Amino acid sequence: MRRSLREGEKMPEKNRWVRLDNASNIFLAARNDTDTKVFRLSARVAGPVKPAVLQKALDKTFEQYVLYHSVLRRGIFWYYLEQSELKPKVQLETAPPCAQIYHYDRRELLFRVLYHADRIHLEVFHALSDGTGAMGFFQDLLTEYLSLRYPEVYGNVDSLDSERLQKQMEDSFAHYFRKTRQLNFAEAAQSSLQTVTKVGKKAAHWFKSTYSPVPVGRKKNVYRVRGEKTPDNRMHAIELEMPVKEVLALSRKEKVSLTIYLTALFVEATQQTAPPSATPRTITVSVPVNLRQFFPSRTSRNFFSTTHLAYTYGEKKDTLSHVCQTFQDQLQRQISPDSLETRLNRLISYELNPLARIVIRPLKDVLLKVINYFNNRNTSLAMSNLGRVELPQPVDGYVEQVYFQTAAVRPQFCMISHGEHLTVTFTSPFVETAIQQRFVRMLTERGVSVTVAANKVTEEELEGKR
Amino acid sequence: MKQCSVCRVQVKGKWETCPLCRAALNRQEKEGSRDPYPEVPLRFNKQRVTRWLMLISLLILAVYFVVDFFFLAQAGIWRLVLFGIMSMWLVMLVILRKKRNIAKGIVYLLVSLSLLMLYLDHSQGQMDWSVSYAIPIICSASLAAMFIALKVVRLSVGDYVLYLLLATLMGFVPAIFLGIGWAENALPSLISISMSCAMLVYVLLRHGREIQNQLIKRLDV
Repeated sequence: MRRSLREGEKMPEKNRWVRLDNASNIFLAARNDTDTKVFRLSARVAGPVKPAVLQKALDKTFEQYVLYHSVLRRGIFWYYLEQSELKPKVQLETAPPCAQIYHYDRRELLFRVLYHADRIHLEVFHALSDGTGAMGFFQDLLTEYLSLRYPEVYGNVDSLDSERLQKQMEDSFAHYFRKTRQLNFAEAAQSSLQTVTKVGKKAAHWFKSTYSPVPVGRKKNVYRVRGEKTPDNRMHAIELEMPVKEVLALSRKEKVSLTIYLTALFVEATQQTAPPSATPRTITVSVPVNLRQFFPSRTSRNFFSTTHLAYTYGEKKDTLSHVCQTFQDQLQRQISPDSLETRLNRLISYELNPLARIVIRPLKDVLLKVINYFNNRNTSLAMSNLGRVELPQPVDGYVEQVYFQTAAVRPQFCMISHGEHLTVTFTSPFVETAIQQRFVRMLTERGVSVTVAANKVTEEELEGKR
Repeated sequence: MKQCSVCRVQVKGKWETCPLCRAALNRQEKEGSRDPYPEVPLRFNKQRVTRWLMLISLLILAVYFVVDFFFLAQAGIWRLVLFGIMSMWLVMLVILRKKRNIAKGIVYLLVSLSLLMLYLDHSQGQMDWSVSYAIPIICSASLAAMFIALKVVRLSVGDYVLYLLLATLMGFVPAIFLGIGWAENALPSLISISMSCAMLVYVLLRHGREIQNQLIKRLDV
């Protein structure tokens, strides 16, 4: 037994594990049966998915992403990522979306690749990577799959062209990974904080700070959406597809970004479906911001920060335009270099605090759970935008649509666009659909054509009574 | 695709009513579109499980109180029965939670069972049989069991070596009992101590390097 393990070892022990950074620890502490801290990237491809081809594509992609070889282990003071010899297997989708990936005491990879009909899904545990980080892997997987599935497309291109194509492809999807070709596990798995410049390091502190309770609305009546939980804790997913142009036109009319517009719509829908309140009510939304756009990091690890937008109803004239403008101002303020810098400097000492470091891990977990609890009390809704996805040509033509969703402890939506299509996927731990219904109707009333898909969550729905 | 005329949306998949508003859907085409979400049967129904668990727990409690009230003289026996049931749940919990690492499971069992014995002995008045017999026997049995189990189950050295060391060190606990003079009969304690001595030498010689690696990794501050 001992001999075979020795033979399997490729690297000295010290290169095979790395401490999980502070920021990712919150996902472990905040994880529970409902909020699994798993997110899902999906693509609808031309024709039904061929599992054998997908497996081949996965094997090839997996080889290049050392970070994805990690399993999560527990130390006395920290969690750590350890390189494993496990190999991923593509599976037919048989569980609800964003089902638990990390199980206490089980040595498993921190992601899975699933397929169902014409869809390919990548589900990732958030302690491993964030949406943008995982998108790199997903894009490579799709490119690999589609070029294996449709070799004729490549066959038609002459050899010179095909070489150029290969190179071009590498460039276009190499944003975060392939430029560096990290072959060393420790390097790949290193916290984003260590891979970036000094500024990036500071940003990491800023990132951490966002997990402290939100000052905004602390004394206010922050609305919390309540409802009946799904019978077996599964996520209730409602997926909307719409032409990106139509929604973009609406947001331009309000002179705000797509993110702000849809967030404002979400808040409006929540306000309109909430029980009447005698006192002014504040609805807050947590909106993650990708820090790679501010700092020169190519990390595949978590590297985002969360901003909090808040709107109080019943104080002024509450129109959608006003909500939009308020959010626009708040977001600008929160991501301005000044506000960033101030927060960073304040928090620099906190990160290196030796007292915080020698607190044992179970206690750290408890502390983070408490912080998370108070954080949750100050957050009504959440959203996340992964922006626009593009795959290298000609592969891009074989991807019909791309979807993005995440496990959530409160109603949340995730948006992502590809080509002409925008998809918005709501996830919620509740059976009720009032907010989503209101949101959709506000869009259709404004002339947007929407297609809806949803998973079945109750006994009645599954038995076909509904 | 089907259509909901109230929400004014197209609906994908096998729905009879709108997934948003529950209104009946208009069928536009003969064949429905493919459902992007597979129908996943409920793993369990939380409400139902909770209801049953509550009911059973209440029933057990009621029976216990009735028996305790009418047969006061035999309350001691019932306490023992409850203790037995509790130990069973504990052992089951440990086995289920730690089923992936047998070495870790054995260490958890060793500690929890020793503490249970200590508690039971203490609740009966004096601490004698637990420190003289039960704990030393559990210690040496665990060490032997772990040694055999590790030969049978395939586990990487890094995963078990610290637990093996822990079980070995635990085998020295009876030495404390001997020293304080709690143990009536020294033999079980002596067996445990000598087994631990032998194992300690073996572990340090064979896995000393690995122990160092694991400690560096797990104690990283």
